[in-house]
Amino acid sequence: MTALIEIKNVSKIYATSDDSATWALQGVSVNIEQGEFICAIGPSGCGKTTLLNIIGGFITPTEGDALLNGNAIQGPGPDRGVVFQEYALFSWLTSRENIEFPMRLKGVSKADRRAMSDKYLEMINLTHAADRYPGELSGGMRQRVAVARALVNEPQLLLMDEPFAAVDAMTRTSLQEEVLRLWEKLKFSVLFITHNIEEAVFLSSKIIIMSPHPGRIKEIVPVDLPYPRDRTSPDFGALYAKVNEAFHT
Amino acid sequence: MSAQTTSTQDSNNPDAAIDPSHWQEQEQSFLRKLNEEKRRKTISQLTLNLLGVVLFLLLWEATPHVIPWMNILLFPPPSDVVGTLVELVESGELLENIAISMQRVLLGFAIAAVLGIVAGLFTGRIALVQHLSDPVLHGMRSIPAIALVPLSLLWFGIGEASKVALISWGAFFPIWLNTFTGVRDVPPVLVRSAKSLGATPYQTMFNVILPASLPFILVGLRQGIGIALIVLVAAELAGASSGVGYMVATSHQLFRVDIMFIGIATLGFLGYMVDRLFTFLQSRIFPWYSSK
Repeated sequence: MTALIEIKNVSKIYATSDDSATWALQGVSVNIEQGEFICAIGPSGCGKTTLLNIIGGFITPTEGDALLNGNAIQGPGPDRGVVFQEYALFSWLTSRENIEFPMRLKGVSKADRRAMSDKYLEMINLTHAADRYPGELSGGMRQRVAVARALVNEPQLLLMDEPFAAVDAMTRTSLQEEVLRLWEKLKFSVLFITHNIEEAVFLSSKIIIMSPHPGRIKEIVPVDLPYPRDRTSPDFGALYAKVNEAFHT
Repeated sequence: MSAQTTSTQDSNNPDAAIDPSHWQEQEQSFLRKLNEEKRRKTISQLTLNLLGVVLFLLLWEATPHVIPWMNILLFPPPSDVVGTLVELVESGELLENIAISMQRVLLGFAIAAVLGIVAGLFTGRIALVQHLSDPVLHGMRSIPAIALVPLSLLWFGIGEASKVALISWGAFFPIWLNTFTGVRDVPPVLVRSAKSLGATPYQTMFNVILPASLPFILVGLRQGIGIALIVLVAAELAGASSGVGYMVATSHQLFRVDIMFIGIATLGFLGYMVDRLFTFLQSRIFPWYSSK
């Protein structure tokens, strides 16, 4: 059986601002299996966002293959939902209209759209904010709407590019729990970009540790702690220490 | 043990002794004062506005009387102008001219808005179209619309077409340029979101790029309507037989400065009203724009 995503020997070369070339990724190979929650972690310049952009279909690799269900990725599509760091909601649409946006593109009837947006608003506990515009929502609420909007198409894979980097620590914790809840319920796969070790250990079933200049995979750490995880348990601490060490050596 | 904890809490909490109705009273009196304050500010502001207008009229009235060398025919005081205004309103002449001028402005502006927004969308989104049209459009933008009045008369005659064409020409450029800037600067993350949600290029253009650049488009439309009013006058001063600009031009030949004053004031008033109407409609039609 083929993996959901296969990245085979992928490299990406970029022009820097002073017109020299830099390797964002060099010879990277990794698979994402059905139902996995993968966190890619690494310092800036390690190519983790480039990897996400290649899988999302926003950019093409300079060399190597990026496959989705065995076929080359041809561009962005509704089979891969994306949640960006921030400001990706449509500010002229309410929460409900943002969530209904993909269905409106497909010409889904108003009643069906409404039923779906009701369901997803309830899932993210934002029924009370259905008719508010993004400008009237807190950072955490906005990201919950963004997650719901990305999930309405029922994607096989959810790509998240440092989605909680701009929210405060308390909100961040509850957003992490919420994403895990949705993941367990809806059974999609996740590629989650972060630079926060604790976040990676709390969320993922597998951690990809990357290193910069050139962007490469340094180590892949499987995480077999059962969910829900206890951040204060010794096992959690041991894994944190392990990832931290790999990250810094 | 638990009783002890409760009593400690009570002694630590200074609010416990105070009746909750106290806080309500405080709150209500605070809100009362706030409202009072607001109302007073509004009233004093309006009074000052009104006073300013009265002072201006008084100064105007006094000027030709106080300054001996001033010719009252060249500088008619408001008391004279008001009489003429009543005459012009009663004969219907003023309103008729306003109607004709506004018709020209709105038609010319509508044409400019459609062409300007479409041109902005294409030049802002498609690099080929942008670079192809860049030198020509920017070159044409630098031509003052007033310089085209004689050409427009030759091409379109002295009828409505020449006025509407000139107004469209003048209003097109700010609408195009602002739309272009807005479209070009739409955050890439919005376009990526749309694509990953399944939007076709056409859907991305109309459901994302257009609304995302709306704040810029509105600025362009507002500048465009301002220019439309300026070009209107230029077009009506030469080769027109109706309109507010024509009224000003003929009053010059008739040596009627009072009519001229009314025409000029009307143009100022129209510009002001159109601008206010614009801001009003904007907040009504695009509520999210103000909530940002």
